[in-house]
Amino acid sequence: MNKTININLSGIIFYLDEEAYNLFNRYLIQVKNELESQEGGEEIIADIEARIAELFTIRLEKSRHQVITIHDINFICDTLGSPKEFMGEEEQSNEAHLNEVKSKKRLFRNPDEKVIGGVSSGIAAYFGTNMILIRIIFLLFLPFTGIGILLYVILWAAIPEAKTTAQKLQMKGEPVNLSNIKKSVTDELEGVKERFGQFGKNSSAKNNSFIIFLNRIASFILQVIEVVLKFIFNFIKIVLIIVASITGFVLFMILFGTIAETWNISGLNVISINGNLLGLNIAQAMLGNGIDLKLLQAGTLLILLFPILVLITLVAKALGRPLTKAKLFNVIGGISFLIGLAFIVYTVGQVATSFRVKATEMKKIQLSGRVFDIRADILERNEGFLFELNDDRLRIENIELQIKESKDSTASLILKHRAKGKSNSFARQRARLFDYPIDQTGEILSLSEYFSVPKEALYRGQALKVTLYLPPGSEIFMDPSIENLIFNIENAHDMLDENMLGHTWKMTEDGLLCADCEAIDYFSGSDVNGIMKDKEGKEEKEESSGMQRKIKELESEIKRLKSE
Amino acid sequence: MKIDNTKAQMRKGILEYCILEILESSDAYASDIIETLKKAKLIVVEGTLYPLLTRLKNAGLLEYRWEESNSGPPRKYYSLSKSGKEFQKDLKITWEELQTAVKIITNTPKNHE
Repeated sequence: MNKTININLSGIIFYLDEEAYNLFNRYLIQVKNELESQEGGEEIIADIEARIAELFTIRLEKSRHQVITIHDINFICDTLGSPKEFMGEEEQSNEAHLNEVKSKKRLFRNPDEKVIGGVSSGIAAYFGTNMILIRIIFLLFLPFTGIGILLYVILWAAIPEAKTTAQKLQMKGEPVNLSNIKKSVTDELEGVKERFGQFGKNSSAKNNSFIIFLNRIASFILQVIEVVLKFIFNFIKIVLIIVASITGFVLFMILFGTIAETWNISGLNVISINGNLLGLNIAQAMLGNGIDLKLLQAGTLLILLFPILVLITLVAKALGRPLTKAKLFNVIGGISFLIGLAFIVYTVGQVATSFRVKATEMKKIQLSGRVFDIRADILERNEGFLFELNDDRLRIENIELQIKESKDSTASLILKHRAKGKSNSFARQRARLFDYPIDQTGEILSLSEYFSVPKEALYRGQALKVTLYLPPGSEIFMDPSIENLIFNIENAHDMLDENMLGHTWKMTEDGLLCADCEAIDYFSGSDVNGIMKDKEGKEEKEESSGMQRKIKELESEIKRLKSE
Repeated sequence: MKIDNTKAQMRKGILEYCILEILESSDAYASDIIETLKKAKLIVVEGTLYPLLTRLKNAGLLEYRWEESNSGPPRKYYSLSKSGKEFQKDLKITWEELQTAVKIITNTPKNHE
């Protein structure tokens, strides 16, 4: 029975009998030695290995055998020719020094026997030791200072992976046996002789192996230095990649948010804060449902196509199968990005120009009586957002309420509705279109927190100023529900809006006078705030001293319990 | 001066031109090119072709794409790049010039006789 050895050639597993393996091994090492120093050598070697794998496959299919024998190897050698011929006959002058097939060991990571990156098994192969031993050494370093991890990462970054079969063979070197040691010793000696002239003539075998050992250590140290430099370079590269991907991610999310916004996909709305934007649709309110919205939607999608296509080509590249049409992909992505951008710029420009001119429309509503209780219907979703799209009307919260002295003897509400437009006539037309629900039942004057405009009017900076004119002598109770409506209401005490709430006010010739405020309320706004703060501070202090007392009590309790 | 060396050099220059010529008619992967060259007896062993293809590719004259294969690993399909096409046209003219030159020269002695 023959022993078989399996090898991996270009991702395909072949079974070689021992004789075939030895011959093939030698052949590949020759190929490698011949081509490695050439420009693009690794690629050529990979191409040749792929061709060999192909020829093996074809031959196995024909012969219906499972195992590759020496005949197959001989066929390969004949078909591909001697490695020395590969670079063409022009290299003949160099032939002399290529005659010697050297198979010096090199440090590679071993992808076939790896736990993390194949560093340990690669080092083990290099020094000819057991890889378990190297792994244990790494593990021993681990718990102390983390040096083990750092070292491992550095080595991982620095040591190349053995990719081609030839590299794998080189990683392992030739099997260590007596004749090989002798051979490598003489090889080394030759090299040393060349360098140091007569040195080494009388050296004993022991000394020689020591020199070899030193050589290896030296080349190992050099490789480590190389590795460290590469690591630093790679580190910078990784940092840049991380920064770039975070930036990309943020941009992507913003874009995605815009898309969710323009297409009104609720639930996917990533840029909404506290759910403010859910159910509201800014784009629809600004653009309507016409061509402009479609353009913006198309624009966002076209822009998104670019990063997606780039991502696809990058992933394909990372997986080692670069797309043949990657360039085309990126060109298409780039063009669609530009078209999308043009769409968006166009629609944004459209909207921007329609904010150019403003116009104001006024409406007067007569009120009856001289005593009022003013209050507001609070919106369900009252989170301070500007507008909300209701089935066919746009609800806008941009309202300012003022209370002023009336010039005549009756109370009235003046509504000033401002809107913007592309031209004066557009703006004026838009300004006329608004609806502000008001209800007066007896003393109770109910205002609304929002006014509405037809959906077709679109949002064009509409704002409503509501002014309540009260004749002198009339009284008004300001319900706290109007807090979001009032805006810098003048009064005789210079009180801030929020302090005016909950009180009854009397309109006099000096302005609004508080009818039921306590002395403290009469301070000007900032003083009131100061006093309020002092009061709160005292309460806190009292609270904390109470806590300390409690802690002391508990401590004495604990002492008592312990002594028992 | 070795006769073999001269032969090899003559062949080598033509080999690059022939590869471009093969790829000019249609894209091909290495084994197709080898087949054609072998039939024409321009090469004897396949190994010589791979370094040549890589060199032409690195010089920007060739491009390649991967294609799956039923028998064996994925194949590199080579095609002429834009500069490769120009290069091929250039070489074609040179080759025709050389051919005429050689014809004239080899015919000349007869005329003088």
